[in-house]
Amino acid sequence: MEETDLLKSAVVEFSEKNISNNATAFERGGIPAEVIKAVAAQGFLGAAIPADSGGSGIDRSGYSVILRQLAVYSPSVSALVLITSSIASAALAKAAPDLLPDIASGNRLVGVDLSTAMDTKIERGALKISGSRIRGTVRYVLNGSGDLLIAMTSDGKLVVVDGGIQATPEEHHLSFRGLAYTKVKVDSGNFRILDEHGKDALLKIADSIDLEVASLALGIARGALNKVVEYTKVRKTFERPLKDYGPVADNISRLMSELRMAELNLESSEAMRDEEILMLKILSVDIAKRATKYALQYHGGYGYIEDFGVEKYYRDAAGLSILFQSPYRDAMRVAKAVYGEKSGYL
Amino acid sequence: MDFEFPEEIARAREKAVEFAKKEITPELAQKCDRDEKFPDELRVKAFQYGIVDYRNPWSMLVTIEELCRADPGLGIAATVSLFGAEVIMLFGNDEQKEKFLAPVQEGKKIMGLAVTEPGGGSDVAGIKTTARREGNKFIINGSKMFITNGAIADFFVMLVRTSEPSDGKRHHGLSAIIVPGNLPGFKRNKITGKLGVRATNTAELVLENVEVPAENLIGEEGKGFYYIMTFFNISRAYVAAQAIGISQGSLDRVLEHLSSLGSGAVTEELQFAAADIATRIEASRLLTYKAASYLFQFRPNPTITSMSKAYAAETAVFAAEKALEITGYSGLNSDLERFFRDAKIMEIWEGTSEIEKLIISRNLLKEAQGVN
Ligand SMILES: Cc1cc2nc3c(=O)[nH]c(=O)nc-3n(C[C@H](O)[C@H](O)[C@H](O)COP(=O)(O)OP(=O)(O)OC[C@H]3O[C@@H](n4cnc5c(N)ncnc54)[C@H](O)[C@@H]3O)c2cc1C
Repeated sequence: MEETDLLKSAVVEFSEKNISNNATAFERGGIPAEVIKAVAAQGFLGAAIPADSGGSGIDRSGYSVILRQLAVYSPSVSALVLITSSIASAALAKAAPDLLPDIASGNRLVGVDLSTAMDTKIERGALKISGSRIRGTVRYVLNGSGDLLIAMTSDGKLVVVDGGIQATPEEHHLSFRGLAYTKVKVDSGNFRILDEHGKDALLKIADSIDLEVASLALGIARGALNKVVEYTKVRKTFERPLKDYGPVADNISRLMSELRMAELNLESSEAMRDEEILMLKILSVDIAKRATKYALQYHGGYGYIEDFGVEKYYRDAAGLSILFQSPYRDAMRVAKAVYGEKSGYL
Repeated sequence: MDFEFPEEIARAREKAVEFAKKEITPELAQKCDRDEKFPDELRVKAFQYGIVDYRNPWSMLVTIEELCRADPGLGIAATVSLFGAEVIMLFGNDEQKEKFLAPVQEGKKIMGLAVTEPGGGSDVAGIKTTARREGNKFIINGSKMFITNGAIADFFVMLVRTSEPSDGKRHHGLSAIIVPGNLPGFKRNKITGKLGVRATNTAELVLENVEVPAENLIGEEGKGFYYIMTFFNISRAYVAAQAIGISQGSLDRVLEHLSSLGSGAVTEELQFAAADIATRIEASRLLTYKAASYLFQFRPNPTITSMSKAYAAETAVFAAEKALEITGYSGLNSDLERFFRDAKIMEIWEGTSEIEKLIISRNLLKEAQGVN
């Protein structure tokens, strides 16, 4: 318990110093390289990567604290850690472990294309292996500004491409704008097959990060609610502070209650079974969506403007539930846990 | 009771659809959203096409709906250049109508309505901008916030305080005045970084000793609050139409997505979600058309108008959010994400949802207590 508190204060102190005043600027111009380096130097970027692979080897509950606290300040920074420490590291662990130290240290950024796993309409990847080269254009690459890419081939393999890639921004970029979201053109002779069954491998990874997504979601909710509590104390309408109005105080307090209960559960997640963690994730994402909506709303016109740092939580909560999970798939997973067999699929 | 529109309005809807198909292109929508650019050419074309004419309010209502269905930012930008015109139409004198109203009705000029201030938008009677009378002019000092068309309008209908209320009633002593945008002492700072409706132009207005001819006063001095509330009663029906357009556009995209899936993939979960959106859209339409029907027959019913605005706005947010969930990755990477961002403004501008609810229940209570 004490260790978790210490870790929490370390993340808060770091975020106050390096993120707090710049979170909005990150959304506009991306997270600067020196901040990524600093996140790595603190051991946050490679938090869940084993120590012998260059990471910090922090246990899952400590990792959850890092994701959650970073998300309070900048969901983009938290998502960067999630992509690096959970998604990329799991994909690379078996077939390309030599790349882990470089991503844990922030020396190299790794882009991931999760669309094949998360979108029911996308069955195949876009990359084609021909002889010793790999080519193609991969859409929707999260964090796709470096020279490492994890994506799928047209015949269903999961690969990592090292170099020979060119990224251009995607047209639509709703969430986690501190991270690049790109269309990546690949023509490379340097690649490795990570898994013959790429879609299954990606789905397995997606199913293994329920706790981490819950942590990010609760961090987003906390960030938004902290802001709106402060704002509604000082903003006056009709000569009274907003917090004095019943619906305002009640909605915010209820959301705070839900959030606090979810946080307490998250903090004792070590004792939880997998399906309970999935349930907690579904609840947490739902709380994040509602909390961010109310936080924006009670800021009135100011909530609608980037500079006030509230609207980003609203965008990120919406994207979180799509980019890193599939709500309809999760509904079936939880139904299976409840009924003990495949249910809810018709 | 007939729920079909007369031929003339159905034709206006068709014309708006034709225009949207031709002019509201994905490229233009994308560009204006990305660059936060007001599409002035589109505005001009909409006038030339004959689809922007607020003297035919029913036609305008369905036009706004259809344009916003194609793209909310562009749809609003193309139809908002007369924002505030009804104040002059209803309460202005003949000279003001000729000098100010006629050119905006012809699409030659752009106007705005400036009520909200940095210190508050919901509490209209709490505004701080003052206009002091000196001979045949007013001297205006203060600032206005989040004003649509703020950096591009030729003039504004502005709510100002002309006297302190002697009876302690804060909504007394307010006046509406026409303020040209190019006067000395009048600064306009474009607001960038909006979550959505980024094709619309929004600005902060700062006025330091701006001198406005006294003849620009609209109606009677001290009646401004009443004029603005009357205006909101009208404009809220148009905002409801914007919101219905957003909801319908979201549903269109959901249905397109579901149609592209194999039949086995369209689970009941997805079907129910689509049915919920569609049902709420129909309910929003009925409420809005009822509000409009009262309004356009000069029998406004503020309770129904506020219901329609609040409900249609809530539906827009619901529809866009659900649509993103249903369509998942493909929706997130399409214009639906823009619909999601645009939708949220519906619950904020021209009376937040909370303010609409206050109006509804206050009116209902007054009715119940027999107060008129
Ligand atoms: C893009 C954009 C364009 C706009 N265009 C214009 C324009 O052209 N002209 C113009 O005059 N204004 C315009 N506005 C301003 C808009 O109308 C105001 O933002 C809105 O009225 C809310 O005012 P506010 O932002 O000051 O929020 P506040 O009034 O400070 O309210 C903050 C929050 O508190 C809630 N609240 C307030 N009082 C109560 C209460 N008693 N009980 C419960 N909840 C309450 C509100 O609903 C809101 O959620 C625009 C705003 C935006 C963002």
